[in-house]
Amino acid sequence: MRTFRILFFKELKSYFLSPFGWLICSFAALMQGLSLSTTIKSFSDVAVSESLVYATFQAPTFWFYFLFLFPVLTMRLFSEENRSGTLEGLMTAPVKTWQVVLSKFGAAYVTYLILWIPAWIHFRLFSWLTDVPPPFVSGEVIGVFVILALMGALFTAIGCLASCLTASQIIAGVVCIGILFVHFLLGLVTYFYGDQIDAAPLFSFISSREHLASYSRGLIDSRTIVYYLTMTGFILFLTHHVLDYRRWKP
Amino acid sequence: MIEIVNLTKRYGRHTAVNEISFEVQRGDVVGFLGPNGAGKSTTLKMLTGFIPPTAGAARIAGFDIFRESLEVREKIGYMPENVPLYTDMRVKEYLRFRGALRGLSGSKLRTRLGEVMETCSLTHVRRKMIKTLSKGYRQRVGLADALIHEPELLILDEPTNGLDPNQIRSIRRLIQQLGEQHTILLSTHILSEVEMTCNKVVIIDEGKVRASDSPSNLVKSMRRAGRISLELKIAPEVGEAVLPTLTDVTKVTSEPLQEGWTRFSVFVAPNTDTRVRLANLAAEKKWELRSLARRNANLEEVFVELTRKD
Repeated sequence: MRTFRILFFKELKSYFLSPFGWLICSFAALMQGLSLSTTIKSFSDVAVSESLVYATFQAPTFWFYFLFLFPVLTMRLFSEENRSGTLEGLMTAPVKTWQVVLSKFGAAYVTYLILWIPAWIHFRLFSWLTDVPPPFVSGEVIGVFVILALMGALFTAIGCLASCLTASQIIAGVVCIGILFVHFLLGLVTYFYGDQIDAAPLFSFISSREHLASYSRGLIDSRTIVYYLTMTGFILFLTHHVLDYRRWKP
Repeated sequence: MIEIVNLTKRYGRHTAVNEISFEVQRGDVVGFLGPNGAGKSTTLKMLTGFIPPTAGAARIAGFDIFRESLEVREKIGYMPENVPLYTDMRVKEYLRFRGALRGLSGSKLRTRLGEVMETCSLTHVRRKMIKTLSKGYRQRVGLADALIHEPELLILDEPTNGLDPNQIRSIRRLIQQLGEQHTILLSTHILSEVEMTCNKVVIIDEGKVRASDSPSNLVKSMRRAGRISLELKIAPEVGEAVLPTLTDVTKVTSEPLQEGWTRFSVFVAPNTDTRVRLANLAAEKKWELRSLARRNANLEEVFVELTRKD
């Protein structure tokens, strides 16, 4: 546990003791602000029946920046150690492979969660600054942050796996965004082909877009939670084995 | 301290390390020599548990390198080739991180940090970013990293690679000091370094151990042990005709010098001394003689003899 803690804080520091972490933070804050303000603008143009939370996260701009956060956050994690050779120093110290994997994942994930603090503040601003009732209910805010945390866990794990596969940051980033994009497109199958096809329940079960839609209405579904957590565990398990493979291949 | 038995590493069809076996006793300073691509780094990587052996086994301090990797890694301090470091960390910060990873904490960590920075002369650069340091300082940071937890065994992969002569001397002096308290296995291809610092040498080539002994024994066993250098004021042809007639002389080569002098290299059979007879011969022939010395073979000649391809 001590070793994990040391590794975890070292990784976390490498995000926030360099301009890198702050750049992603400001990029995320900017995009969140942009999503919110364009949504509010659209509210003033036409009457909308949905809540502000739902409308903000259904805007196309959301997926545009959301999926790009993960390669940026994770591509460096293993590939950079691999390229510069520091992996050798790290793995010849008395550390277990799972400690390395979980500490890197954990640090990237915590950084990801920190990125959402501005969005949370945005929604709180209504009650802090105005006496107008906010155009949403608190259940929707909770729902949306729960699903963001769940999707973030899985997508960060996918980023870790991609980074583990190669010594090039660029390739790791491209592989990560590629997997995330395919995952996103699979979720769009029912949108394009309708729910009449046989595999429609499967596609809608894995559709992050649909999960986000239902959670941002405040509908928290335990199946989704299990789906994301088990998938995260599975991807991290794969990452562990890819990293450990070096120790086993004859 | 280290027992290696038939350790083998294959990469596909290429055999990098081929059934090597040797032992290192506690307190030894062992030079691990070999030409580029001989399998030195591969062997060290296997010993430190970074890559597994294809066959064979090795034990460090009684622990199996494969099955008890974690225990082995606790016992060793390893400085990999080219010293990879986290370049965006500061020297002290990096060493503190590595020390903590090795299980040091609190006042113990603080005193060890002070000690290794003192030993490796890093105290005045402790606040610098590693990326701003020169190669020599990075090498020292790597060494400090390997030393921080007072390991029983130090494994250094080409510790003086790419340094200038002054830096090489200071690292070498450091290794000599460390050799008084630690067991050290260091790989290098700088032979003078081994002659000065090591009490045992293992020479490998093409993945096989060619020799394993103390430097002086290796030199003694060399075929070319007897070689006499002689400077006479005669023409090269004269010497080359007359000198080989002496008994025990196997070969004579010459090299003309200035003002009529010639330097002859006289190769003689092992364990014989022809110097007196050469001097007498010169006196008898009334040749002017200005230098007569036996050149002992050095480790470099042993190395070349064992590893050359022609």
